[in-house]
Amino acid sequence: MKSTSTLFLAAAALAALLVAPAAIAADLTDVGYLDQAAVGALPQFQRANAQVAQYKSQLDPQFAAAMKHARNDADRQRISGEFQQKFLDKQRQVLGPLFARAQTAIAQVASNQRLSVVVDKRIVVFGGQNITKSVVDLVNGPGPVVPPASTPPPAVIGFVDQSQIDQLPKIKAANDNFLKFANDARQSALQKMQAAKNNQPQQQQIFQQYQKSLTDEQNRTLKPLVDQTRSAMATVANQKHLILVIDRADIIYGGADITADVQNALK
Amino acid sequence: MLAGCAQPRADDPNVRGIGYVRLEEVLKKHPLYPQLSQIDDSIDALGLRSLGAGSVPHTGKQIATQTKELNAELKAAQDRANVILRQKQLDYAQREQTAISAALEAAGAGTNGAQSAQAMQNITAAQAQQVTAQANSDFAQYQQSVVTQSNSALQSISAQLAARADRAFGQRATQLQERESQLSLELSQQDANKRLQLRMKLNGLALPDATRKQYRDELAALDRNEASVVAAQRARDQQTLTAYRAQLNTQVRNEMASQSAKIHADTQAKLQTRRNDVSQQVSSQLQGLRPAAVPSNLPAATRDRIAEIDRTFKAKFQADAQKTIAQYQATKAELDARYAELQGADASATGAAHTQLGQLQRERDDLYNKMVEQIRRDAGTVAAKRGLQVVLVNIEAAPGGIDLTRDVERDIESLHE
Repeated sequence: MKSTSTLFLAAAALAALLVAPAAIAADLTDVGYLDQAAVGALPQFQRANAQVAQYKSQLDPQFAAAMKHARNDADRQRISGEFQQKFLDKQRQVLGPLFARAQTAIAQVASNQRLSVVVDKRIVVFGGQNITKSVVDLVNGPGPVVPPASTPPPAVIGFVDQSQIDQLPKIKAANDNFLKFANDARQSALQKMQAAKNNQPQQQQIFQQYQKSLTDEQNRTLKPLVDQTRSAMATVANQKHLILVIDRADIIYGGADITADVQNALK
Repeated sequence: MLAGCAQPRADDPNVRGIGYVRLEEVLKKHPLYPQLSQIDDSIDALGLRSLGAGSVPHTGKQIATQTKELNAELKAAQDRANVILRQKQLDYAQREQTAISAALEAAGAGTNGAQSAQAMQNITAAQAQQVTAQANSDFAQYQQSVVTQSNSALQSISAQLAARADRAFGQRATQLQERESQLSLELSQQDANKRLQLRMKLNGLALPDATRKQYRDELAALDRNEASVVAAQRARDQQTLTAYRAQLNTQVRNEMASQSAKIHADTQAKLQTRRNDVSQQVSSQLQGLRPAAVPSNLPAATRDRIAEIDRTFKAKFQADAQKTIAQYQATKAELDARYAELQGADASATGAAHTQLGQLQRERDDLYNKMVEQIRRDAGTVAAKRGLQVVLVNIEAAPGGIDLTRDVERDIESLHE
C-alpha cells in the first residue's frame, strides 16, 4: 500500500513536471517593448524633423558668416556655442511636444497593461509584449494623452547609464590612455605600411601586428575595468533583487536606475 | 526524481520567465563567423590605409620612372585580361560549335551547315575580342596621356617654384652683400683720418725702429678691426640667408603639395569619367553585337535552332567576359590608387577606396543581419521549450534570469554539420 501510494505520488509529481512549460510562467508578462523606428516614422515626426532640418540649413550660412569675422579661438568658441544653442532651442521647440506626447502614450499603455518596464524592440529576441500599435494609436488619436495615475510597478529589470559610468576618473583615464595608445599605434602602422607599400604580405603582417597590439592593450588596461564594472552591476542588482541589468539606451519606460549605486560601488 | 534538476525553472523567483543570450559570443560560434571576421579585417585594413597621409611629391624624374613602371604593370594586366578573354572566346566557340553540330546532325544537315555555323562563330568571337581589346587599348593610351600631361604640369610648376625661390634668395643675398660693402666703406671712412696720420708719420726718415714698428702695428690693428666687424656682419648675414633658404624651401614644398593635390584630383576625375565611359561602352557594344547571319541554305527550323544556340552562347560569353573585365578593372583600380599615391594624393580621395569600403560595409551588414536573424530564431525556439516569457540580448549584468547562450551556441554549431 505504502509503495503504491509512493508510486502514485511520484507519478503525480512527474505529471506536474510534464505540464506544458508555458503554463508555469503564464503570469510573468510585465516586460513590454516598443519599435521606436515605427514611432519615429509617424508623419508628425517626419514633418517636425523636416522643419528642424530646414531651420539648420538657414542657420548654417549665418554660422559660416559669423565665423569669418571671428578674431581668435575664444571668439570662434563663443560663436559655436551660440549657434549650437539656437539649434537646440529650435529642436526642443518643434520636437519637444511630440516626444512628450509619445512618452505619455507609452506610460499610459504600460500602466494599462501593468508593465513594469518597456524596452527597445532591438534587444528582444523572444516574447515580451509589443506595445507599438497601442502607442501609435494613442499618439495619433485626437486630444491630449492622459498620463497614468500610478507609477509603474517595481521592475525586475534595472538599467545603468554607461556614459555616466565612463566619466568616473579611473575609467575616463583608462579610456583616454587607450585612445592615445590606439592613435600612436595607428600612426606607427601607417608609417610602416607606407614603407612597405609594394609588399602586400608585409603590409598584411604589419596590419595583423597592429590589431594584436590593440587587443593586447585592451585586455591589459580596459578589460579589468569592464569586469569590475560588470561585477559591481551584478552586486548592486542582487541587492535590489533585480534579475537583469541593461543599458540606459535600451530602456524606454520604467525599470530601476542603478547608475548612482554602481558609481558608488566603483569609487 | 527532482534532485537531478540543476537548471533553474522559468517560474523561479530569480528567473521570473526572463532569459538572455550573449549575442556576441553566439556569433563567434556561427559557421559564417570566419567570413564576417574576414570582412571586418578588410574594412579595418582599408580604413587604416585611407587614413594615411599622402606622400610628399617626388621629383619629376622619380615620377617619370615610377609612372613607367606602373604603365608596364598596367600593360601586363591588359595582356593577361586579353589572353583570358581570347581563351574564353575559343572555349565558348568550341562549345557552340559542338552544340551547333549536334543540332545539324539532328536535322540531318551534315557538315555544310557546320562550316557555315563555324564561320558565324568566328565572326562573333572576333568582334567581341576586338571590342574589348580596343577599349582596353584606348583607355590605356588615354590614361598614359593624362598622367603624362599631369607629370609635365607638375614638373613645370616645380621648376617655376624653384626658379622663383632662387630669384628671391638671390635678391636677398645681394642686399646683404651690399650692406656688408657699405659697412666696410663706412668703417674705412671712420678710420680714414687716423690711417692718414699714421701713414704720414711712417714717412718720416728719422723714425726709430721701435716707433716705426708701433705705427705699423696700429695700422694693422685698424685693418684687423675693420675686417673683424665686417666678418661678424657677414656671419650674421649667412645665418639670415640660411634661415631664409629654409623658409623658401618650406613655401615651395607647401605650394607644390597644394598644386599637386589640385592637379591629381583633376586627373583622377578625368580617369574615373573615362573609366565609367569605357565600361559602359564595352557593355553596350558586347550586348549590341549583332547575331551573325544564319546561312540561308539550311531549313528554317534548323536556322532558328542555330540562331538560338548562337544567342545563348553569346549571352554566356558576355556574362563571363564581364567577370574578366571586372577583375581587370579591380586590378586597374589598385594601380590607379598607386598612381595617385605616387603623386601625393590621398588614396581615399580616389573613387576606388571609397567604393570598395562602401561595398564591404554593405556585405558586412547583410551577413551580420542574416546571422543575427538565425540566432534570434534559435533563441526563440529554445526559450519556448524552456517556458520563458521573454529573452533579451545586450545584457550588462545578469544576477538572475536563465542564460540561454550555451543552448543557442549548441544549436548554431550544429549548423556546421
